[in-house]
Amino acid sequence: MAEKMILHPSSSTVVFAVLLNVFFTGTYGNQVPLILWSSGGSPIPEASPPAGHVVSSSQLSSLLASVLSSGPRAVVLFQQDKLSIDDFTVFGGVFGNEEDGAFPNLKSALQNSSGQLVLPSVSQLGSSRIVQLLQEQLRTTPLYLEPKNLAQLHLSASDPALLVVRLPYSGTDVSSSKDDLRANDGVIGRILDIMKAQAIPYTAIYTAHGPSQVIQEQSLDSQLVGRSLLQTNVYAPVQFNDSSNNACILFWANNFTVSVYQGKWEMTNLTTQTFAQTPKLDGSKCSDTDSRLSINYENVLGFKSFRVTFVMSQRDYKVSARKWFTLDQILLEYDNQNTTLNDTRDIYAPGEYSYHCESVNIFSSAPRTPSATQWMLTFGGFQIQGFSVTKGRFSYANDCASFFTPAIWMGLLTSLLMLLILTYGLHMIMQVCTMDRFDDPKGPTISVPQNE
Amino acid sequence: LFLHFGTMNGHAILYTGVTVAFWSTLLIVGICYTIFDLGFRFDVAWFLTETSPFMWANLGIGLAISLSVVGAAWGIYITGSSIIGGGVKAPRIKTKNLVSIIFCEAVAIYGIIMAIVISNMAEVSYSMFGAGLTVGFSNLFCGICVGIVGSGAALADAQNASLFVKILIVEIFGSAIGLFGVIVAILQTSKVKMGD
Repeated sequence: MAEKMILHPSSSTVVFAVLLNVFFTGTYGNQVPLILWSSGGSPIPEASPPAGHVVSSSQLSSLLASVLSSGPRAVVLFQQDKLSIDDFTVFGGVFGNEEDGAFPNLKSALQNSSGQLVLPSVSQLGSSRIVQLLQEQLRTTPLYLEPKNLAQLHLSASDPALLVVRLPYSGTDVSSSKDDLRANDGVIGRILDIMKAQAIPYTAIYTAHGPSQVIQEQSLDSQLVGRSLLQTNVYAPVQFNDSSNNACILFWANNFTVSVYQGKWEMTNLTTQTFAQTPKLDGSKCSDTDSRLSINYENVLGFKSFRVTFVMSQRDYKVSARKWFTLDQILLEYDNQNTTLNDTRDIYAPGEYSYHCESVNIFSSAPRTPSATQWMLTFGGFQIQGFSVTKGRFSYANDCASFFTPAIWMGLLTSLLMLLILTYGLHMIMQVCTMDRFDDPKGPTISVPQNE
Repeated sequence: LFLHFGTMNGHAILYTGVTVAFWSTLLIVGICYTIFDLGFRFDVAWFLTETSPFMWANLGIGLAISLSVVGAAWGIYITGSSIIGGGVKAPRIKTKNLVSIIFCEAVAIYGIIMAIVISNMAEVSYSMFGAGLTVGFSNLFCGICVGIVGSGAALADAQNASLFVKILIVEIFGSAIGLFGVIVAILQTSKVKMGD
C-alpha cells in the first residue's frame, strides 16, 4: 500500500496507520522516520515516495524545498536522539488502546494541521544533515531551544526562522522508553502551544539523528535463525580428552551468548572465546557414567572469573532397555558465587549418540525477588556429546526437531478420524438398495385398504 | 489374487487397496526405524505429552454430540421404516409407536446436553475427551438398541395390539443404558474441579 499524501486535515489515526502499513522487514536498518506538518498556509503539495523507498538526502532536500516554498517558513525541528517506526508501533497506542499512547500532543497537532508529509524511511545520512538542509533552504541560522528558554521565545510571523529542539531518547531500556517518549511529546506540546499563542503559522518536523532499537532488542532469536551468505567462521568443537588423550567430551555451537540481569540485562557473545582459541577446561572430567565439561573465561560481564560447567550423566533405563545420556544442569561459577540452571530437561539422547538443536535457550528459574540476578544462555546450532565419543568426531546427532511437529501430528490425527467417519458413512449410504424381495412382476399388485 | 479382483465390486477393490496401502506404509516405516536403530524416536509418550490438550478436549466434545446423533439416527431409521411398513396394513399403530421414536431422540438430547456441559468447563483437561467418548459410545449403542426393539414393537403391534405395552418395557430398559453413560460422563467432568 503506497503512502498517500494527505491534503486535507484528517484523523491522526490514518497517519499512524500509514506509518504502520509501511513495508516493515523486521530489521530497522539505517532509516529514520520523518513527520512534517504545517499549521497554516496552503496545503503541502503531493510528493510522497513509493512504499519502502528510502528517501536520500538529495530527495529530502527537494521535498523540503517544495514544502517550504508553499508553506510557512517558520520551522520548528524536533530532533530526537533516536526514533524508529517501532516506537510508534509499540508505544503509540494504535491497537485500540488510545489512552496508553505516548504521543497525544503529536496526534492532536497532526489532526489540527492543514497539511502533513510522512516519510517512513529517510536515510540516516539525510536525517542527520537535516539542520544543514533547512539552513540552506531558509537562509537563516538555526536557534537551538532549551526547554527552560521557551518562555523567552518571540518570533515574527513573516521572517523565516529555524528552531531546533533536541529531545533526548536512548531507546535501549524498554521500561523507560515510553516515559521518555511521553516527556518528549510533552515538550512538543508546550512549544506548539507557545507558537499558537503567538499566532505564528509554523511548519513542524519530528525526526531523529538515528534509528532506535525498540524491537531489535526484544527478539534475540532473530540473530540465530538463518545463515549468512558468506559464512566463514566455522570453528572446530571444544574437545576434552581423557587420560589416554582420546576425546571423550565434544561441544560445539555456532553462536554462544550469555546474558545476565542485574538491574538490567547485559549480554556478551562468547563464541570466539570458546571456539576460536583453545579454552581452559580445568575442572572437566569424564567417565562412563558422569561427565562434566567446564569452560573457564576471564573478564566476562564484569566478573573476573567465569566458568560454565555442563553436567551430564549416562544411565541405563530398564523400560527402554538402553542407555540414555542427559544434560542434568549447567553450573555457572562467577567470582566465588555460583548458580545452577536446571532448565535442561529437553537435552538428552541415547548414550551412543550426540544431541543437536538449532536453538537452545536456557534460563535460570523464576526469581524470588525482582532484583535477583537472572541468567540466560543462548546457543545457536548447539551440539554436545558427553559419552561414547569415538575418533574425536560427533556420533549421529539426535536432533531436537522431530520429523513431524506435534501440530502436524494433531492435524493428521484429526484428519484421519474424519476420514474414517467419512468412509464409514459413505459405505453405509452406498449399500442402501431398493428392496426387491417381494417383487414379482407376474403376480398381482398389492392392494392397500382405504380404511382400517 | 489379481484374478479375484474381477469378481469384486468397486467398494471391495477400493477398501482392499486402501488397507494394503496403509499397512504397507506402516510396515516400511517400521522396518526403516529398526534398520537404522532409530526405534527410540517412535515415542508415543512424546506424542501424548506434546499434543495440545485442547485438541483432545474438542475431540471429546465433538464425539459426544456426533456419536449420540449417529445412535439416535440409526435407531430412528430402523424404527421409522418398520412403523411405516407396518402402518401400510395396520394404520392404527402409527400414533402409539411414535413413543419409540421419542426414546431414540432422547439419546441425541443426552448427547447435546453433555456436549454443552463439557464445552462450558473452564479448565481444559483430558477428562473432557474421556467424558465425550463415554457419553458418545454409550448413546450410540443405546440408540441402536432402542431402534431395533422399537421396530419389533411396531411390527408386533401391527399383528396384535396387546403386545405393544409389554415390548415397551424392554425398550425402557434399553433406554436406561444411555442414561448410565450420561451419569458417568458427568462424574468424569466433575472430578476436574474436585481432584485438582
